[in-house]
Amino acid sequence: MPGEKLEVIRIGAEAVVSRLEWNGFKMVSKHRVPKPYRFPELDEWVRDKRTLHEAKVIASLRKLGIPCPAILLMDRSEATLYMQFIEGIELKRALDSLPAEEVERLARELGRIVGRMHKGGVAHGDLTTSNIMLDKYGNLYLIDFGLSALTDDPEELAVDIHLLDRSLESVHHRVRATFMKSFLKGYMAAAGMEFLQRLIEKVKEIRSRGRYVEERRKRH
Amino acid sequence: MAASKQDEKLVLGIESTAHTFGVGIASSSGKILANVSYIYRPKEGGIHPREAAQHHSRVAAGALKEALERASIKPEDLDGIAFSIGPGMGPCLRVGATVARAIALRLGKPLIGVNHSVAHIEIGRRSTGCRDPVVLYVAGGNTLITGYIDGRYRVLGETLDIAAGNCLDIFGIKAGIGPMPAPEEYARRGERLHPLPYRVKGMDVSFSGLLTAALKLLGEVRLEDLCLSITETVYSMLTETLERALAYAEKEEILLVGGLARSMRLREMLEEMARLHRAGVYCVPPEYAGDNGAMIAWTGVLQLIAGQTLNIEKSRVRPRFRLDEAEARWRELGL
Repeated sequence: MPGEKLEVIRIGAEAVVSRLEWNGFKMVSKHRVPKPYRFPELDEWVRDKRTLHEAKVIASLRKLGIPCPAILLMDRSEATLYMQFIEGIELKRALDSLPAEEVERLARELGRIVGRMHKGGVAHGDLTTSNIMLDKYGNLYLIDFGLSALTDDPEELAVDIHLLDRSLESVHHRVRATFMKSFLKGYMAAAGMEFLQRLIEKVKEIRSRGRYVEERRKRH
Repeated sequence: MAASKQDEKLVLGIESTAHTFGVGIASSSGKILANVSYIYRPKEGGIHPREAAQHHSRVAAGALKEALERASIKPEDLDGIAFSIGPGMGPCLRVGATVARAIALRLGKPLIGVNHSVAHIEIGRRSTGCRDPVVLYVAGGNTLITGYIDGRYRVLGETLDIAAGNCLDIFGIKAGIGPMPAPEEYARRGERLHPLPYRVKGMDVSFSGLLTAALKLLGEVRLEDLCLSITETVYSMLTETLERALAYAEKEEILLVGGLARSMRLREMLEEMARLHRAGVYCVPPEYAGDNGAMIAWTGVLQLIAGQTLNIEKSRVRPRFRLDEAEARWRELGL
């Protein structure tokens, strides 16, 4: 491991993120920890595949100019990525205490980022408010691309919008409506009306498949 | 809940969403006084809704009588009549609803429409003693991850296509060994794991690609190895999404409910995962894992206490009643 480990900053469901300092340079390591409940071969396969994949996706996102941490080093034998440190908090922690105008601004900005990312052929795969960082200047960053896909399949892209909406519905349902409205505005500005409409159709389809009854009723 | 004899409430519950016609009787002190089940088993293939409904009509009267006898009570002792209002198969649901309405009218007691998925969770909470869990509800037709947040059980994750139980059942049937638990029994003799599509999207899962890939391998690899591969992959995906939901909803308990709660391997995996997070794992006991009347009766008790009863005119069945459309007002009362 390069540098000195300072603290563990995030224990996610699949990885441990630690803050490191190397010659005064701040960075983080993301180590995909072995899961004792998984069959050993399956576990190794899943961890390696996701590490390699995340590095690939981040490389293409940086090319698209999407705000996300840069990769500094990859250690496949340890299923570990070393990345740029983003100083901020999870949007999940900030959302309920921000004034309404700021929530709308952030939602619009997030819409622009996600729209540009989707236009560029990347689906995040786990777009919840825990995987969006807000820094002290009010900038947003996307993190955790472990479940992302390089794809232009509207279905996969629509899952991002579906997941974001559901994470708002389940944990921040009070701001959900205004947030999604501004999000879609920003999204449309970045990806265009036609692109957005096609995805919204897909989101509806996913919801009705997942037994979201109201939509299904309207269709019939 | 130490209620004196006078304010103890008794509720009869009828379950008839799919293949089971069940009658249960529960009391507000938390006792299950009766739990009678009659299961329609098709000679081949899946459930035919009309045939299942006919089966339910045939057994209804006998099941009711049996439940009252087991509980040693008279119909007049009941304080409410609960039934599964949905989700489920329309023809089956209507049998339970019709029986419930008739009894409620005859006795002049409140009618209570219970969401079937909520009932699985509530019987799980009651029978295991857990308080505020993140719930994995896995059965033949359902795969969802949920937790109580602000008045309801919110859906945190679910399958984007087929249910986990359905995936394993279809695989077992097509492989010629029969539905669950056969695939899991064969898996115990498996040695080698073949990689199958591992599709996790956030807290959602997808099993259809995995099922197709596994069916393609039938006859090409050892059946025991294939059973090992499919069960391990399905359970790992469920455990991983549940691990994510546990962190996301910030809960400290895991509750496993529904038919697949009988799987020993799934339980073992969940327990291993929970240890990492110092969370407790609770599994609904086998007698309440499948569809049953007791869960409807017990949820009926909770709804009766919270004032969630129905007018007969508004008691139409809701075949697509989603879990997160149902209010859970008793949770605010600390029940």
